[in-house]
Amino acid sequence: MKNFFRKVAFGISSNEEVPSDPLNWALDQVNDVPELSWKGKIYSEKELRKHYRDWVYGDRKVLRKKYKDNKTLYKTHKDILRHKTGQKFWESLEISIRHNEGINSSRPVLAKLWMFWGNFFAISEKDFLANYSTGPYQREIIRPNLNQSFEKMVYEVTTSWAMIHHLDNSESAGPKSVTAREEWRRRKKEPATINENHARELLELHTVSPKAGYTQEDVIQLAYIMTGWQHKWSKKNLETGNVWFNSEYHQPGMKNVLGKEYKRGKKTLATIIKDLVNHPNCRDFVAERLCRFLITDEPTKEMKQPIIDAFVKSDGFLPQIHKAAIKVAFDYNDKFKKFQTPENWFIQVAKLGDLEWPPSPQTMDSYELGTKPTRKQRSPERLLRNIGQHPFRAKQPNGWSDHSDDWISPELLIRRLVYAKLSHSFSKMQNNNEDYYQNIVEKNFDNPDKIMKYLKQKSRIVEKQTLLFNHPEFLRS
Amino acid sequence: MKITRRDFLKTTALTSLYFAGFGGQTYADQVKKKNLVIIMLRGGMDGLCAIPVKGDKNFEKLRSKINLDRTLKLTSDFDLHPALKTFKNLWDQNQSSAVHATNIPYTGRSHFDGQNLMESGGKIPYQEKTGWLGRGMKIAGLTGNGLALALPMPLLIRGVPMNNNYFPVGHKLPYPSTLKMIQEAYKEYDEKLLSENLEIIQTRELSNTSSDHSWVLASNAANELSKPNGPKVAVFEVDGFDTHAAQGATDGAHADCLRDYDNIIKSLKSSMSKEAFDNTLVLTLTEFGRTIKQNSSNGTEHGYGSAILIAGGLVKKAQVHTDWPGLKRKELFEGRDLNSTIDSRAIYASAMSTVFDVDFKKITKEVFWGENLPNLSDKLFKV
Repeated sequence: MKNFFRKVAFGISSNEEVPSDPLNWALDQVNDVPELSWKGKIYSEKELRKHYRDWVYGDRKVLRKKYKDNKTLYKTHKDILRHKTGQKFWESLEISIRHNEGINSSRPVLAKLWMFWGNFFAISEKDFLANYSTGPYQREIIRPNLNQSFEKMVYEVTTSWAMIHHLDNSESAGPKSVTAREEWRRRKKEPATINENHARELLELHTVSPKAGYTQEDVIQLAYIMTGWQHKWSKKNLETGNVWFNSEYHQPGMKNVLGKEYKRGKKTLATIIKDLVNHPNCRDFVAERLCRFLITDEPTKEMKQPIIDAFVKSDGFLPQIHKAAIKVAFDYNDKFKKFQTPENWFIQVAKLGDLEWPPSPQTMDSYELGTKPTRKQRSPERLLRNIGQHPFRAKQPNGWSDHSDDWISPELLIRRLVYAKLSHSFSKMQNNNEDYYQNIVEKNFDNPDKIMKYLKQKSRIVEKQTLLFNHPEFLRS
Repeated sequence: MKITRRDFLKTTALTSLYFAGFGGQTYADQVKKKNLVIIMLRGGMDGLCAIPVKGDKNFEKLRSKINLDRTLKLTSDFDLHPALKTFKNLWDQNQSSAVHATNIPYTGRSHFDGQNLMESGGKIPYQEKTGWLGRGMKIAGLTGNGLALALPMPLLIRGVPMNNNYFPVGHKLPYPSTLKMIQEAYKEYDEKLLSENLEIIQTRELSNTSSDHSWVLASNAANELSKPNGPKVAVFEVDGFDTHAAQGATDGAHADCLRDYDNIIKSLKSSMSKEAFDNTLVLTLTEFGRTIKQNSSNGTEHGYGSAILIAGGLVKKAQVHTDWPGLKRKELFEGRDLNSTIDSRAIYASAMSTVFDVDFKKITKEVFWGENLPNLSDKLFKV
């Protein structure tokens, strides 16, 4: 039963009491979205996007021209610009904020769901998004919507600067739009064409999924509806301007998606998102993904049904959907144990091991723009890359896999063995004793005697940590 | 008789487990083991920088700032970038060749989409969740025969189970006695996949504290590829070909990347047994070429047609294969890029057919959805 605390959250730490009513403990955490528990400085998405702007502008418009004949000087000055814009620091700060929610906040269940949706609406590794924008996108777009409707979440994700940039919607221009007739397009041989990326992912990954049976024509028609949603381009800001609806890029006329007619204009995006989230395949897909994340690689119809029902009954209100998912996870808790992805695993290692993790707010706040971040200040980004799952650097827009087999390969297993061992260097002196391990094992496992007997095979704490964090009961929950 | 990896594990002593995969000893004795190595050149490799065309005044003018002042000689029509020294040595022994003016059928000029398509082999970005190499290995029955020198597993090789990957973590593993206890626990809990992977880790001869420089990775891979029961497929990644500025000529940023590639083949050649190298093909893969014309930063922009560099003993003849489209403005793709006159997937399908001994038609049908690709096997490779 105790694996439930790691299934829907990250386990019970040494100084926490084991909740007497685990189900309600979990359900009570998802009603609202409190302030982040990180005590250090937090920067707004807009502020960080300004740094993104300074980086692309400085590189593209200044350095490339200035040092066009000297690759060494070009490289040196690019490195200076990187540090001037905090390029090597922000993502580590964002990961610290994220992990702190899982480890030190009073809402670890909400934190785990935040991570789920961040990956559901993934911004994968593209350009410099991970360095400047993906963290704040997850904080300012995903998290505040955890107590809103799924529909509102989808709309805000779709019109966010990060997603528009990630899926190239600014490159999409209606072939019959005003801009299509512009003289420069003829001269430069750049006809107005649509870019289908964003439309396809809105259908495939963010709402109805391929099971809805949409056609390539549906994708094209949705891309037409989405034309005009773009960043406001300017010579000064390049591609980092705010998102707006540029009617000159919008494809005129009626469109037809999944058999329904839609008229032209800015408001149609909201209309079609409303229809997509109310499509039966959308709620089935959301239920499937939640079950796969929490319970098993192969969710059954019976598992999904209560979540689908909650979706219908609450009109897609996320706290109700979350509660239904938590209940299903609770019901199936003993029968199914899900193999944990590397990041989930490491947060549990940090929480149960009471590690000095993430780096403290003092450490992170001592960073000075323009300087090279210290090794410690960069450790979150490095560690996640090294264990093989950096949440802002998935390789594809479908995010990181939640299928277990994708996380078992020789090199990935090596990373767990090595980082379970290395975790000892983050542990606190006062915990280096048998009693500490007795305490956390009792709090987190139903068979503490068996686990303790296993750990007793080794006397050094570092070995005990290696054994515990690679034990099959720890790897799954 | 085919023995699956899982069956094999149950019945054999630990020492011979590593990469046992397909067949085992008897199979290796009957048929020569052949290897396929793919080196992904990320960022858009400039085929015209690697293999510039000779005597085209227009080309020289368009690249006045980044022309090569020193080249190695290949043919009457093409030169070679001086950074590709090993490639040239192999050329002189009929062990390297190239295909020019070729690319995957993707003209969108986005790294993000292009790299996805070069790995998936499809036409619509992100539609396919497996790679062309993984699918090819699957129909050839090459389970447990892939080695990716990367973390995580590249899309290219996904689609066949039990691939190995190696990218040294830079730290030692826990003590063997600790690993043994972990292995016992895996077995007790019936964690088959974890258990199999832990066996591989404990028995493989790849150092976890070695350097992750590409030539060191290549030397490690070469040892593995040379083993009769070792992997038959290896995948490398080289970054940095996106040279928008200071691309340079003989010693610029693009030259550094080409040198990384050359060091991989140098390392493969020197660390592989002669027999293994003689039965190996090494092919490059990139998302697109670069513009003909230099930009105002003495770099180049994203283009279309590029080149594939081929090395190894299974190369038929030192030759630049091409259906040269020309570089006059009207011959260029959209007036700016070298055109692609050969769908590069035909070359990869031919390479898989040759190395995996699978009928070419079966590959086009099952790996590339029945696309009408020409079989170039007997033109390019020793069949």
